[in-house]
Amino acid sequence: MSPYPSSNGTASSVAPLLEVRRISKRFPGVHALKEVSLRLHAGEVLAVIGENGAGKSTLMKILAGVQEADSGEFLVEGRPERVDSVRTASRLGIALIHQELSLADNLDVGSNLFLGREPRRGVFLDRARQNREAAEALARVGLDCSPETPIALLSQGRQQLVEIARAVNSGARVIIMDEPTSSLSQGETDRLYSVVRDLKSRGVGVIYISHRLGEVTTLADRVTVLRDGQNAGELARGGINHDAMVRLMVGRDLVRHHRPARGQGEPVLDVRSLRTLAHPGREVSFSVAPGEIVGIAGLVGAGRTEVLRAVFGIDAVVGGEIRVAGTRVPTASPREAIEHGLALVPEDRKHQGVFLEMAVGANTTLASLGHRARWGFIRGNTERQRAAELIAQLDVRPPNPDQTAQFLSGGNQQKVVLAKWLALKPRVLLLDEPTRGVDVGAKQEIYRLMEELAERGVAIVFVSSELEEILRMSDRTLVMHEGRISGTLSREELSEEAVMHLATGGPATR
Amino acid sequence: MTSTLSFRSLLTAALLLLIPTAGCKQSSEPTAAAKPDGAAPATTGGKKKKIAYVTNGVDPFWNTATAGVRAAEKEFGVECEVLMPPKGIVDQKRMVEGLLARGIDGVAISPIDAKNQVGLIDAIAERCPVITHDSDAPDSKRLCFIGMDNYNAGRAAGRLVKEALPKGGKVMLFVGRLEQLNAQQRRQGVIDEVLGRPVPAAGKLSYDPPGKSLSAGAYTVVDTRTDNFDYSRAKANAQDAMASIPDLDCMVGLFAYNAPQCLEAAREAGKLGRIKIVSFDEANAVLEGIRDGHVHGTISQQPYYYGYHSVRILKGLANGDKSVLPANGFQEVPTVEVRRANVDQFWTDLKKMQAAGQ
Amino acid sequence: MKKLLGIFGLLVAVFALTSIANPQFVSAYNLQNLIRWTSLFGIISIGAAFVIITGGIDLSIGSTIGLVGSMMAWLLTQKGWGVGPTLAAVMLCSLAIGLAHGLLITKMRLQPFVVTLCGLLLYRGIARFLTDDQSQGFGNSHDTLRQLAIGKLPISGGFALPAPLFILLGIAALAAVFLNLTVAGRHLLALGRNETAARFSGIRTDTLKIVAYVLCSGLAGVGGILFSLDLNSIQPSGLGEFYELYAIAAAVLGGCSLRGGEGTITGVIIGTAVMRVLYNAINILGIPTHLEFAIIGAVILAGVMTDEWVKRFAARRRAARERAEGATA
Repeated sequence: MSPYPSSNGTASSVAPLLEVRRISKRFPGVHALKEVSLRLHAGEVLAVIGENGAGKSTLMKILAGVQEADSGEFLVEGRPERVDSVRTASRLGIALIHQELSLADNLDVGSNLFLGREPRRGVFLDRARQNREAAEALARVGLDCSPETPIALLSQGRQQLVEIARAVNSGARVIIMDEPTSSLSQGETDRLYSVVRDLKSRGVGVIYISHRLGEVTTLADRVTVLRDGQNAGELARGGINHDAMVRLMVGRDLVRHHRPARGQGEPVLDVRSLRTLAHPGREVSFSVAPGEIVGIAGLVGAGRTEVLRAVFGIDAVVGGEIRVAGTRVPTASPREAIEHGLALVPEDRKHQGVFLEMAVGANTTLASLGHRARWGFIRGNTERQRAAELIAQLDVRPPNPDQTAQFLSGGNQQKVVLAKWLALKPRVLLLDEPTRGVDVGAKQEIYRLMEELAERGVAIVFVSSELEEILRMSDRTLVMHEGRISGTLSREELSEEAVMHLATGGPATR
Repeated sequence: MTSTLSFRSLLTAALLLLIPTAGCKQSSEPTAAAKPDGAAPATTGGKKKKIAYVTNGVDPFWNTATAGVRAAEKEFGVECEVLMPPKGIVDQKRMVEGLLARGIDGVAISPIDAKNQVGLIDAIAERCPVITHDSDAPDSKRLCFIGMDNYNAGRAAGRLVKEALPKGGKVMLFVGRLEQLNAQQRRQGVIDEVLGRPVPAAGKLSYDPPGKSLSAGAYTVVDTRTDNFDYSRAKANAQDAMASIPDLDCMVGLFAYNAPQCLEAAREAGKLGRIKIVSFDEANAVLEGIRDGHVHGTISQQPYYYGYHSVRILKGLANGDKSVLPANGFQEVPTVEVRRANVDQFWTDLKKMQAAGQ
Repeated sequence: MKKLLGIFGLLVAVFALTSIANPQFVSAYNLQNLIRWTSLFGIISIGAAFVIITGGIDLSIGSTIGLVGSMMAWLLTQKGWGVGPTLAAVMLCSLAIGLAHGLLITKMRLQPFVVTLCGLLLYRGIARFLTDDQSQGFGNSHDTLRQLAIGKLPISGGFALPAPLFILLGIAALAAVFLNLTVAGRHLLALGRNETAARFSGIRTDTLKIVAYVLCSGLAGVGGILFSLDLNSIQPSGLGEFYELYAIAAAVLGGCSLRGGEGTITGVIIGTAVMRVLYNAINILGIPTHLEFAIIGAVILAGVMTDEWVKRFAARRRAARERAEGATA
């Protein structure tokens, strides 16, 4: 394979801002990167895509100085450099914005922007100057909040912007964004786009890693695709489209399903006049039939997660009732919800779903242990057998029940959470952002699982901020706006425009 | 709501459970601090003077002293508060400061660390008469000291050791804290007597730091173990001494609770009678041990008289009567050597004294 | 079990060095003492471990011991209660203390540190109030009951196993079974690791936490009974003072993480043994008593540091291996 695609006409004759040539990285027993090359020009947005395990993370860590390559060249503006630490990378103007935010949420915005580089007067912190400069930096990324706002009060999207402001503020000329929109609402995503475009116009090079191919299409000037630790190809501006990218990533064409809506008969889940703590003045009512997949779309803050949490009994409800197969479920108790056949795959996998330090096997059997116990004692053999079955059923990789969950990829962790619930054979499965931070391959598997479960008669409700996901999976779509359901779309009525129309508070179209 | 309710009722129930036990306790036996005012003795008219008796810790020893305090209270018509600081110097300071804040007409204190508490004692002296008992602070402005000569008492205990081990042997000492002057003097007295050293001139006391084995003639003082008033440490110290020195012949407990723990350890090790125990003070277990022949003897300091004389002298001082002060500022309370021969008589007298205080 | 290698190594090392320096250290008499003290402290350390596994802390262990010990002697000797009612009363009292802690921490959402710190002061105060701050003792009465603490089961060659060892082994076996083989035990570990995820998985997190505090105080109560029977002289202001720190130190030495979710019963017992062997060794070797804290602090710190080194080295190797595996997958 050609290690370096020939330059196209648009590239300037000046040396690229950042270039790596034939980078290789080996971990004991594994060749993570094999002669990967990449280059980034000033004022360019380069998207790097690929399935998990394709080597994106390793490459980004090398670029940001977290790890050092075994071999290959590293050039900054044409000069060879040895980047062996984050400090060196940062001195060279390279900043990495992590997938998991790395802000100190007990401090305010200004302090975070200047963390480690605080303006001082003698030994004292120069608070006035910090606030002044922070305000300028925030304005540059279009964030309209006071530098003294505590980080904890900002939404995840705004926190992301603070991270970007921090990178820009530190004089970074190359900004690497790892899945920046995975937790952003549509509005915040749009804001991010305009910040990226602004960075571009000021000559900053942006390396953009995303699983959301729609975003890549909108934003990228060029796309580098990695597969199995190697360059799999490159797409220039004109050639960037969904199918082309997927083809390069997976090495085959993707089959799109067209199918009739599923779900028949009496509703198994019936939510009546539910009022949540977040929107006590709004009522939400909906029902789901066995085998039906219902998507809940809407902007972040529309109250979607709150509805799922209330149905599952995590939060107390202000009013309304929840029935499963006609039986009223006592509210505010996840235990009761589980007893009645409900299950929830939560939004925040690491904090609410998976037990990172526990073994994969123990994770999968945790919720169902009680049902399989004899007089409160765990039956060791049954448990191991059951764990192995679940791991096989969900194709968790690696299929080792004794491995701790923290070393699995996001997609596999999500499968572990799903396995935990499948062990209980739920009647209603609630999923909150089921594919957040999950790579394309694992996404397909999670979709396949959802479909399989629906075929077996499980009613599925999922919340998603990805329109693509809603379009693909929903038999029926509830769109929420400010705490209420602003419209319901059947499979025929469903379109990106229709969802956005309802989500932004437009009147129902029918 | 239901969960809050049930929680509240549980908490109430728990509190209710505690109250009756506490209540019936109070009715049966008055606490040391709150003395009932019945049986008012010959008061000289006007308000009763209030004085305080501060000990250096919590110990049965001080119960006997309290009995003396109570007897003198009746006899001299004063009200005396007995304070036992459970946690050493800091607690003692806190209690004294509390006394001064409330206002008090006289204080008798047993300083825990004589050298470093001069400031505290002088601070009391600014407000009211202050005397020391049990352990002295000669550099302070205390008006007099009531107690025994700890060095002489130590020598008396040393004589008991020699009596118990006429052919010599290995001796181990146990004490709560070595910072206290009385502990240091007592220990030195035992060591000097056992090793046959001459009595030094007044104020020329030598000090052998612990951690060194000292021998003279047939006798060896192996070491001194401290336990910081933790009874289980005291017991473990005795056990460890017997374990590390299998031919240990004698254990000397310098504080009242030390010998009872030595006795327990010896009993469990099956060495009762074989290992000699010499004690200070008059804990019940020790007196029982002497009677049964398991403890060779004890040096009683007669703490009853510490309490009694403290109240007597303070009462006088509070009324401006300086004549109650002893000559040289030292009211000596003689020690009593208790052996098997006189233990029954001693015990009967002790019980009588304590009953008088009730 | 691999995690216990470090602390076990420390135990063996101190043991070996001391017995070489003074052979009396391994005399039957000394070993019996050592086993008894380890058993007594082991019982309360297991209780502490349960609370630590939930990610909490109990600072009131020592005061609970003091209260139970004083109350038992007071009821038996001063109030003339029978042995049965007395034991029932003091055990109920300690369980009630644990229940109160658990309820305050889960239902009122107070911090464990604060709740149990107040407990530390409260129970000590009650103990001193009940007994008028007078030392309590059993004298020569209740020798049968005292066999629980001072009894021995003779084995060959003058060696006898002290009674508290059997109590410890019984409790440890039950605790290990609970933690490793029951659903509630698994849930307790999960709760310590990630409380939110545990609640989302339908685990009764509040109930389990309460159970942990009840177990902790209950075992402190058992400890209080045994300590007072062993000493036969109970000072209400002093019995059990600082024992919570010994218990917490032993639990942490034995592999419990103060962040919760981690710990084994075997580890806790080995941790306790290390503490007791150190105290014993200092006396046996004739090191001045005033140096003991310094030595114990230094040895434990060295042990924990070595353990952390070993763990990090292992983790780095494992992470590299697993990252490599992940990259191929």
